[in-house]
Amino acid sequence: MIRKLFLPSIFAILAYGFWVSPDFKEIAAGVAIFLFGMLALEEGFKAFTGGVLEKLLRKTTNKLWKSLCFGVISTSVMQSSSLVSVITISFLSAGLISLAAGVGIIFGANLGTTTGAWLVAGFGLKIKISAYAMPMLVFGIVMVFQKAKELKGSGYILSGLGFLFLGIHYMKEGFETFKGSFDLTAYAVSGYPGVLLFALIGVLATVVMQSSHATLVLIITALAAQQITYENALALAIGANIGTTITAILGSLSANVDGRRLAGAHLIFNVVTAAVAIAFIYQLTGLVDVISSWVGIASDNYTLKLAVFHSIFNGLGIVLMLPVINRMVSFLQRVIKPRTLTAAEPRYLNTSTSGLADTAIEAVRMETLHLYDNASEIIAEGISLNLKDILSKRPIEETVASARKPVSFDIDERYGHNVKELYAKIVEFISHAQSNLSPSQSDELFALRAAGRDIVEAIKDTKHLQKNLSHYFTSENEAIRQEYDNIRANLANALRQLDAVRRQAGDANASLSLDSIKIGMKQHDRDLNSRLSTLIRGHSISAPMSISLMNDSGYAYHVTKNLVKMGEVLFSTGESQLREAERSVALDEGELEELLQNPKNSPPSQHDETQ
Amino acid sequence: MKLSKLLEKAEALLDPKERKRKAQKKNLKHVIKKLRKQEKSLLKSLESESSKPQAAKIQDQVNLAHAQRKKGLKVLKELKKS
Repeated sequence: MIRKLFLPSIFAILAYGFWVSPDFKEIAAGVAIFLFGMLALEEGFKAFTGGVLEKLLRKTTNKLWKSLCFGVISTSVMQSSSLVSVITISFLSAGLISLAAGVGIIFGANLGTTTGAWLVAGFGLKIKISAYAMPMLVFGIVMVFQKAKELKGSGYILSGLGFLFLGIHYMKEGFETFKGSFDLTAYAVSGYPGVLLFALIGVLATVVMQSSHATLVLIITALAAQQITYENALALAIGANIGTTITAILGSLSANVDGRRLAGAHLIFNVVTAAVAIAFIYQLTGLVDVISSWVGIASDNYTLKLAVFHSIFNGLGIVLMLPVINRMVSFLQRVIKPRTLTAAEPRYLNTSTSGLADTAIEAVRMETLHLYDNASEIIAEGISLNLKDILSKRPIEETVASARKPVSFDIDERYGHNVKELYAKIVEFISHAQSNLSPSQSDELFALRAAGRDIVEAIKDTKHLQKNLSHYFTSENEAIRQEYDNIRANLANALRQLDAVRRQAGDANASLSLDSIKIGMKQHDRDLNSRLSTLIRGHSISAPMSISLMNDSGYAYHVTKNLVKMGEVLFSTGESQLREAERSVALDEGELEELLQNPKNSPPSQHDETQ
Repeated sequence: MKLSKLLEKAEALLDPKERKRKAQKKNLKHVIKKLRKQEKSLLKSLESESSKPQAAKIQDQVNLAHAQRKKGLKVLKELKKS
């Protein structure tokens, strides 16, 4: 009900305001242009999220101080704490950073957002800002129409800044003329009731505008036009800080448990900081006066003093909360508990990552790895082995020799429950994430989808293999038993090698070592073919047995081939261009065959071309 | 610097295809360098390996790294030509 009435009420209030006062219309238009500028700015920075931002985020989150600095710097540069929050939540949801690192970034973003107040108070009000806005808009829009992603992104950033400046200009002008006809200071409330009332107004204004930055600019321009008192402006700034958490909470609704915990941390930080600031507002005002006189800010320059206050109280929040950050993380982990997920439920896919192309790709990669985890258990049991034993340090031959009891389970049922359902969700997510992708990003998603299909194919081949294998590896006939144990050992070895490559992911050329699995698999196939005739001639195995063996060896070959194909895509991490370079060096079927036939043709040489 | 060269440089800087080609070359060189290092370290361990089956395994790895590096150099050469 409230939700339904919310938008019409806002429209009604605005329409009434426009009818009563043309100056109010100018201020509201200023806010609207400013918000549009922020949208353009976010759009522009999103164009660059395909690399720089993610790379920085990956590298700067291993230590708390680095996360904090990342939050401060990125928010200062982008002038949007909500974009930083959204990126942090999506990275957290995709499992790329820890919760503590995410909390550090959010704390830093709170301090970084105060630079906006400094810029507007120190620069925006002193000069004729609209003179800069016009050329910025013109150049920016021309760049927006360009095809190149970087130029387009830069165009959005430039026009976004232009709109921000223009918005500030209209707000400033609006308040200046408003002053002549209407005196808002008549509604000023002093003392603690005033602090609480204006803090509440700050919260509401920020919830409506979905931007604390816009609220703050509005406060500064109103303060510059002496339409609100300094004391009430401070309370409004405190309220804006609480209001901004609403954006983060709304953004976290679709996120996973870590995303919700991060929003919880944001809420705790802002509410505790605001409570402390309200309780000690008069002491803080005194501190602002002292610091302002130190840095040479005139005692009547209330706009800059507001910027000082904003920085002090957000800095105070960091000082207060940083020592208890680990306790806060464990508290949030205790309070916001994850649902127990079934094997088929996605761990990393959620709508919060779909807006950022590279993060969405990473989420799909992680989820496909989860699909592989489910599938490798089925494959291991399909050859009557335990995945844990396969991945242990025990020699594979020993593991195979000791596992003599066939594992009976319905492979179709397990496939339907743990693989097919999850793969369907991955495919659905990929279909939704397709929009706004560059060709290389689309290719990346297609490759991941194909990797999922390779996993599905590997299970299907395991199903075919399982029937005869369960029968023959317990056979009385030693020769056939030995051959089927070889198949089991080879597959187990491939799973172990794949796991080793997966663990090395991130090391350069790790995925290239998958070529050695391909060689091993070809070698095994070749050895079996040459042994097969001897076995039949020596009556060690019957002709029907040999046919089963040939078929099953073929199935095992395809399982390995599909898993290696999958590994080439999934285990290759790092920059997409480096992955592309690695893939271009991987040997194809013909080259592998040649290497197998003529290994001596590629002797190691100490002095050749790369020197 | 001559104006024509300056314009060429500016064009290369603004041309996304040229930028992509340069990045490809750089990444390929990086991969080749790593393979070279890997090959060298494998050869070192091959020298000190006394077990024959283990030595054969290492030799296979050396051959593979070598073949991959050779392929990389071929791709790099083609990239330089284009």
